[in-house]
Amino acid sequence: MADVGVFASFLAAAAGLAIPLALAALGETVSERAGVINIGLEGSVIWGALGGAMAGLAAGPYAGLAGGAIAGTAAALLFGLFAVGLNTNQIITGTAVTIGSLGFTGAVFQSRFGATGLALELKTVPSWKLPLLSEVPLLGPVLFDRAPTFYVVYLLAPALWWFLFRTRWGLALRSVGEAPDAAHAAGIGVIRTRMLAVLFGGFMAGLAGAHLCLVHTGTFSENMSAGKGFIAVAVVVLGRWNPPGVLAAACFFGAAEALQYVLQAANADLPYPLFLALPYVLSLAALAGWFGRSRAPATLALPWPR
Amino acid sequence: MISGSTKQWRAQRHRIACWTATAVAACGGPSADGSDNPDPAGSSPSVALLTSGPVSDAGWHAGAYEGLQRIGDSLGWRISHQQTRTPAEFDEAFISYAEAGYGLVFGHGFEYQDAAERAAAQYPDATFVVSSGSRAAANLVPLIFRLEEAAYLAGMAAGGVSRAGVVGMVGGVEIPPAKGTFLAFGAGVAAVNPEATVLETFTGSWDDVAAAKEAASAQLRRGADVLIHNVDAASFGVFQAVREAREQRGRAWAFGMNRDQNAVAPEVVVGSAVIDIPALFLQAAVAWHEGSLRGAPRAGLASGAVDFVPNPALADVVPADVEARIAQARRDIASGALEVPRIRYLEEDTLPAASPVQPPPN
Repeated sequence: MADVGVFASFLAAAAGLAIPLALAALGETVSERAGVINIGLEGSVIWGALGGAMAGLAAGPYAGLAGGAIAGTAAALLFGLFAVGLNTNQIITGTAVTIGSLGFTGAVFQSRFGATGLALELKTVPSWKLPLLSEVPLLGPVLFDRAPTFYVVYLLAPALWWFLFRTRWGLALRSVGEAPDAAHAAGIGVIRTRMLAVLFGGFMAGLAGAHLCLVHTGTFSENMSAGKGFIAVAVVVLGRWNPPGVLAAACFFGAAEALQYVLQAANADLPYPLFLALPYVLSLAALAGWFGRSRAPATLALPWPR
Repeated sequence: MISGSTKQWRAQRHRIACWTATAVAACGGPSADGSDNPDPAGSSPSVALLTSGPVSDAGWHAGAYEGLQRIGDSLGWRISHQQTRTPAEFDEAFISYAEAGYGLVFGHGFEYQDAAERAAAQYPDATFVVSSGSRAAANLVPLIFRLEEAAYLAGMAAGGVSRAGVVGMVGGVEIPPAKGTFLAFGAGVAAVNPEATVLETFTGSWDDVAAAKEAASAQLRRGADVLIHNVDAASFGVFQAVREAREQRGRAWAFGMNRDQNAVAPEVVVGSAVIDIPALFLQAAVAWHEGSLRGAPRAGLASGAVDFVPNPALADVVPADVEARIAQARRDIASGALEVPRIRYLEEDTLPAASPVQPPPN
């Protein structure tokens, strides 16, 4: 009985920690497939969190999710204007957007809620209990009695796979990431495609930030993105730029983090930092091609036209 | 009041200015405002504060920021604050403040020790204060908060409040001052309920609200019904986890740490282990101006600057007999009759030999 309790606790924590990573990483997958690596994702997450919190306070949790997604898109727009529009270095631009966003959201939060802070108590998005599925023992309550952002992830992973690999638009988007010159010659708008892909990435990262506030924690604090945007970029690598793989990788990262909390709470005398390091080691292994051939989009992080 | 908010705005404007100039350069320089440079020969001293996290945490960093504000308001000195995230930024910020003529620079946390030590060697005319610092020098002053003494009392209260006999502690980074408060908290729990189980989790982050909430939830699902934290902004996640556990299981309480957090989540926080950081910062600044700030000033229960503050709104949660024992323990700790277990991170042999250890400030 106690073991089932520990296991259920682990599953609940793992799912909770995986979903924000999955949201951000699925968006980043599309962006990277188009050849743009957006390190500014972290900035979109924190803007999404602040936008979500403020819109949530003003107009309720669902409006908060929308507000967060819009705020995340706005941060990605800033990144896209420079990195895609002006062909600035993507890594440096993304870093600038992230650092700037962390500082700027802090300034906005402090000017709105006071410098020394208060614990906002946000109304959270209610769970949608799916009939039948939520009755499944063990997994049902963990996966199918949750906020709608969970279902967005479940539906989006296969949908994005279908979009990327089974539609003309998906082919066009991938060709922009693999061979932008050829795509351009074929009449595909490279800049426009990349820009839209970046904006989608920002939208999803903003949703991830709003999820942190309005689903996961019910509060906002400065820096609460806590590197999740960066981790999402690693998740995309481990998921090998393939949406279902990215979802699996996000679950793996979430599980590794959950495992250390559950182990520590169980007073297990294990070196928990090892479990935290494991996903990153596997990401490196994935990059090195240990799990079969895995190749990043050919023009990832490269400007166009060169 | 107006001057306070102006300073607050100045700090924010600094951050915004940083943002606009961010592209590559790190955000150095004590102030975005060129005209703000203190006159080294001028009469008004300048004091700076570095925090490694946002001051909007309603806790550890907020207390330091209030202390800085108090120095500015009541002494009329020039003040400046910077949030620094990485050890490289620690060094850069110390140096840029010292270069700009700031005479007193606070690094608010154990993590500033190494950078402060390097800056102190390089700038003998400036004084560097490290909250919970571990080593001293002529112009390097560790400020020791005996928060363990208040954490012990909070632990006694937690032991009395818990019916499950399981109490949890959620920490950020596993540094000696944080481990010390947990050691004492656990001892306080055991003093009231020797059978109790005490869970301890470190998330590795002071600010990650989601991580702290998951860590707290994992402890609550393990049967804990009382939690304390030693994190910064992430404490909101701990309080939120307690609120949710209460909805699901009916009974859960939390304790605050570092600052009086009874009002942060008034319906779940039974009491807080508090350091009066603003008063201690002000005392340190005055002592520095008089030339008497040296050694390693320590503040504990005896000085009143550290205490366990119950939440008046939840006064009936702690059983009366436990309350009486807490009052007795408070007297015993203050008089020295009861020694609270602590982790001794201060390296006493680095204290300047010529200067005797200061009595606790009053």
